[in-house]
Amino acid sequence: MPFLHERLSNGLDVIAETSESAVSTSIGFFVATGSRDEHDAIWGTSHFLEHMVFKGTPDITGDDINRRFDAMGASVNAFTSEEDTVYYASVLPEQQDEAVDLLSRMMRPALRDADFETEKLVILEEIRMYDDQPPFGADDRCRAGFFGGHPLGRSVLGTIESIQALDVGAMRDYHQRRYAPGTMVLAASGAVDFQALVASAQRLCGEWAPMPSTERTVKPQPRAAARPGTERIVRPAASLDYAVWMVAAPSERDDDRHAARLLSILLGDSSGSRLYWGLIDTGEAEHASCHHQDYLDAGLFVTQLSCATDDVASLRERIADIYAAATRDITHDEFTRAQNKLASRVVLGGERPRRRLFEVGLDWSHSRTYRSVADNLRHVETVSLDDVRRVLAAWPLDGAAAAVVAGPGEAG
Amino acid sequence: MKQSLHSATLDNGITVVGESLPDLQSVAVSFHAPGGSIHDPAGRCGLATVAGEMCLRGAGDRDSRSLIEALESAGVQWSQGVSSTHMSFSGAMVARQLPDVLPLYADVLRRPMLPADEVPAARQMVLQNLAGIEDDPAHRVIAALRRAHLPSPWGMPTEGISTQVEAIDADDVHRFVHRHLQPGGMIVAVAGRIDWNDFVSRIDTLLGDWQAAPPPEVVSGPRGDTVGHVPHDSQQTHIALAWSLPPYREDASHEATAALAILGGGPSSRLFTEVRERRGLCYSVSAGYQTSREFANAVCYSGTSAERAQETLDVMLAEIARLPGTITSDEMARVKARAKSGLIMQQESSAARAGAIARQWYHLGRLRTLADELARYDQLDRATVESWLAGQPPRDLTVVSLGREPLEVNRALPA
Repeated sequence: MPFLHERLSNGLDVIAETSESAVSTSIGFFVATGSRDEHDAIWGTSHFLEHMVFKGTPDITGDDINRRFDAMGASVNAFTSEEDTVYYASVLPEQQDEAVDLLSRMMRPALRDADFETEKLVILEEIRMYDDQPPFGADDRCRAGFFGGHPLGRSVLGTIESIQALDVGAMRDYHQRRYAPGTMVLAASGAVDFQALVASAQRLCGEWAPMPSTERTVKPQPRAAARPGTERIVRPAASLDYAVWMVAAPSERDDDRHAARLLSILLGDSSGSRLYWGLIDTGEAEHASCHHQDYLDAGLFVTQLSCATDDVASLRERIADIYAAATRDITHDEFTRAQNKLASRVVLGGERPRRRLFEVGLDWSHSRTYRSVADNLRHVETVSLDDVRRVLAAWPLDGAAAAVVAGPGEAG
Repeated sequence: MKQSLHSATLDNGITVVGESLPDLQSVAVSFHAPGGSIHDPAGRCGLATVAGEMCLRGAGDRDSRSLIEALESAGVQWSQGVSSTHMSFSGAMVARQLPDVLPLYADVLRRPMLPADEVPAARQMVLQNLAGIEDDPAHRVIAALRRAHLPSPWGMPTEGISTQVEAIDADDVHRFVHRHLQPGGMIVAVAGRIDWNDFVSRIDTLLGDWQAAPPPEVVSGPRGDTVGHVPHDSQQTHIALAWSLPPYREDASHEATAALAILGGGPSSRLFTEVRERRGLCYSVSAGYQTSREFANAVCYSGTSAERAQETLDVMLAEIARLPGTITSDEMARVKARAKSGLIMQQESSAARAGAIARQWYHLGRLRTLADELARYDQLDRATVESWLAGQPPRDLTVVSLGREPLEVNRALPA
């Protein structure tokens, strides 16, 4: 799978991983901006702006955008996280130019007042929707508890209050600052005509004005929770308790992230892991998992548990025991199984252009690095059991955690 | 595009279907036994689901743990699931692992241990899942809608009913598995980097001497009320609507699903445009198609703040009523483009293709090539869809809401 790269004179990077056997083309704009780039007065802007990008440009209405994507037969969507805003479309190869044309024009949206007010209602419904369903906001509150004043502590959606208070002028200013060519990557994967991609980018994005500096705030990661201890969210209508807790883990710039991921699979994957055999297979918990979440300058081991209210305290202790035992007795067999599992995910995921788009686009956006499927496989295969043990010792799972429990009862 | 589809039937009634996708490194295999939840006996709603879970708790000479570890050591991304009609076991893996993995699946199908001392844990696992569903309003409103719209046992919840799951014991599980996990009507599907002849011969060796029993009968019972409300203390009210459509095996399902896609199948669809984009009433609104071999229906869904739910329902009903006679050529072109591109892109996933050819065989008793599927869309146009809609406009709607207050429902669609 050849990798191709070209930088426009205004700093916009155009990249592609091409595949001769792919039948589709995936195209995406990766904007290095997210909730960590916000402050109180613009809390929720990155995600709200992601919605507004679909509401049109000075020449194209929102309805036109929806109709054009559907007419291409495109599968199109976008997401916003703490660090990234990503817009993507998967199309048949003959639609590449049309998809690049539309996505590129969308990156310079009109941000009309009337659209802003209508879309504000949609965002408020999205917040209420998540608020009504598990884990009832426990994950956001827990991240805030772990990160404290660090920019990663801010939730992506914002709150009902922060969204109601948002002003379209502030969003226009944010867009101007954050959607600069040096902060964006145009990436493609699958059956890509790279020459045509660069030509489209030149024509559609070549005039975007560069910004002098688009560096984001990067702070050293906290090694422990800013607000350790358990916070409780009371949801009288809930049927189960939903607990989440977070401890520090390697960041995405740390070579130990591969070992951290293997460790989380071994301990807390959705099947065949220690948490699975200890709590799920027995029917004691509805859900029990551990995953590794990494950011540019921080990382987390996130443990999630849902179970009956009466069991939450004892099962949290059970998980603590499982984590403690792992410091002594990880076997070579279970390490190899976790390694095979992850290797298989890398290979099977590598067959999907959409999946590769996200991997290649985010790698480039974050570190101007390209990693092939073979590179990723090598990273998995070169991790040793000793690496996993070392990571567990350096990033203890029983370290000072931020924890939140959402559920029907008063005490947890 | 070169495509090779295969099918073979073993003497005991197992059908093997396959698609060779030589550009992939992976292979996906799935086994669909005709043991779905429509066979749950009276008072045991959820038995198929508990039985499916029990089948993985040891098989052949491997106990529960060794079985899962054997699958995962081979890097198999496995899953097990029960639908209303089938109990399915699936796995996707790097192709070279397949010969070592097939015997594990044969053990699960033919030699499950069904250890009585693990039934309480399996039952508890299913009860945990049911408790989790209580906290998922969108899932609950759709389940309530199915129960109201479809006759039993088709509308009964596959995941079970807590009070009935609690009563399931080891004898129930044994009886169910021995009666319904059987080769008659079983479909084995494989897609990806395969050697078809080698695959069929391996399946024949592993499953060919398994004796089939006659298929069990399913007796249809009553359906629920056409309008219902589920009280739930949530900020949002969830709305679900259904009306009957031709099942997938009937040719008219093609026109019916095209009309449904125009109503609510993509960002330029009527519901998305009118409910979300124009009025900002909700975050999610959609229309989809659910089919079994016997029944099919449209499902429309939206969730919105309690005080805006009535308007959301009214706009949804108005859009459903407005559909016949108003379809434009542009809308037809968009629906066809989306469907065709989806069909072509499916070729990049062995798991998606294995699932798709298994479904085709179940519904049609044959496989359609990609070229056939695309050609069918070429024949579809505004006139054929309008003509179908004129004879079968949406009517006799089932309407279910979930939230703090019930809504006013006028099932006679506005003119």
